[in-house]
Amino acid sequence: MAFRDLRRKVRKRLSELFEIPGDVMLDLPKITLVGNIQILVENHRGIIEYTPQRVRVCTGDGEVAVGGEDLILRNILPDELMVEGKIRTLSFN
Amino acid sequence: MFLFNLFSFLTGHVVILVTGEAPEKFVNMAASRGIHLWDISRVREGAILLRVRLSAVKPLRHIARRTRCRFKTRRRVGLPFYLAGLRRRKALVAGAVFFLSALYFLTSFIWFIEVEGNERLSENEIIAAAEEAGLSRGLPKWKLETGRLEAAIQEKLPLVAWAGIDVKGTRVTIEVAEKTVPRVEDRRPSDVVSARAGLIKEVLVFEGHPVVKEGDTVLPGQVLISGEIPPLTEPSSPGAERKPGEAPKIVRPSRYVHARGIVRARVWREGYGEVATVETGSKPTGRRKTVFSIKFEGKEIILSGKRNIPFEHYETETFVKRLPEWRNIGIPVELITVIYNEVAEYRLERSWTEAYGKAEEIALQEICEKLPRDARLLERWVEEVQTGRRDNLVRVKAVVETVEDIGTDRPINQ
Repeated sequence: MAFRDLRRKVRKRLSELFEIPGDVMLDLPKITLVGNIQILVENHRGIIEYTPQRVRVCTGDGEVAVGGEDLILRNILPDELMVEGKIRTLSFN
Repeated sequence: MFLFNLFSFLTGHVVILVTGEAPEKFVNMAASRGIHLWDISRVREGAILLRVRLSAVKPLRHIARRTRCRFKTRRRVGLPFYLAGLRRRKALVAGAVFFLSALYFLTSFIWFIEVEGNERLSENEIIAAAEEAGLSRGLPKWKLETGRLEAAIQEKLPLVAWAGIDVKGTRVTIEVAEKTVPRVEDRRPSDVVSARAGLIKEVLVFEGHPVVKEGDTVLPGQVLISGEIPPLTEPSSPGAERKPGEAPKIVRPSRYVHARGIVRARVWREGYGEVATVETGSKPTGRRKTVFSIKFEGKEIILSGKRNIPFEHYETETFVKRLPEWRNIGIPVELITVIYNEVAEYRLERSWTEAYGKAEEIALQEICEKLPRDARLLERWVEEVQTGRRDNLVRVKAVVETVEDIGTDRPINQ
């Protein structure tokens, strides 16, 4: 585990040094919110749970949960996911 | 998004219902294998609806088996399914193909011919010339040689300086530019004769030999300026006596010219007008109803308009249109348009002065209509005509004295 933490630290340093965005270097999700009606998650690893009230998405950095009403998955591609509906909460676990 | 919708419509997609314990797994696996899914919505616990491209349905079977899900096609959307549906309706497809090909076929003919830019030449003359050169209604466009046609029209009509043919769809426009030709002067010998009776006021001769002079009274048809110039004789020298009976020596024989000149004369013109003091009649009120109907073998079917005419008194105008007969086949259908114009009766009473004024107006109007443009009015008299009969008509005679050119050309027959 220590080795992995070390690797992460080095990568973070490198990305800061060369000003490379974190989603490329660190395998982090890039989340774009449009008001409260649309959310775009790039760099995802698949969905864990989907109900109209709650969408949980697996990412390289844990889990992203979107809560709201009438949520639908507008679009799903290997590394891109778009959720539409009334978004109330966005949480990271 | 519009482009995406259009694309997915053209390639076709299906709406499928996925049921199973964990449909999320199904979605994940499909997404990770590069299958594009969209519009995913949950209908109930363990059942989701999603859209997927037609070409990606087959690999989904494998995924469904792996994730222990089942899927059923709910709806098919897109052009491929529509075309498949058309395959069962061959007559419709055949009709559409026939319609399009007929439309295309008919647009390759010329149906309308128009003429532009003609002033002195009539449209029919130009169309006739074009027809002679081979341009007629129903000519296939591929047989149209514009260059040759333009040349032919110019050759046939010498008044045309340039002709251009412009084809727009099924419409051909023949544009012509006309030559400006100098006016041909009439050189044939002629006299100037009087058109009306009158008293000559002035005679101005441009060419010819004056026969009348100021103050003469002329009758219609009388020669005013002769086209025959009398022979010029040698003036006898003073002192030398000419023997009686000796013909004067002719220096130049008589010749004939086209006489021209202005002969102004005082002319009297008369006009008559009568107006009733009590006038009754009917005149249109301006309200009208139009009834269209189709007549077929004696039966009339009204297409638009009411059957009962809401007017008490009316006049009708009827127009009948029918298709032209071809050989012996006539189409027994007529399109009839009837226009009902409402008329109202009226009674108008005038006082004698009113009627007199009106009659005078009519009488003067009658004179004015015949007056040439160069006429100058000198005087006018208006008087009532007494007939001795007792009726409600006021009759008025008007006389106008004018000065006008009374000469007209009359050719000399040699």
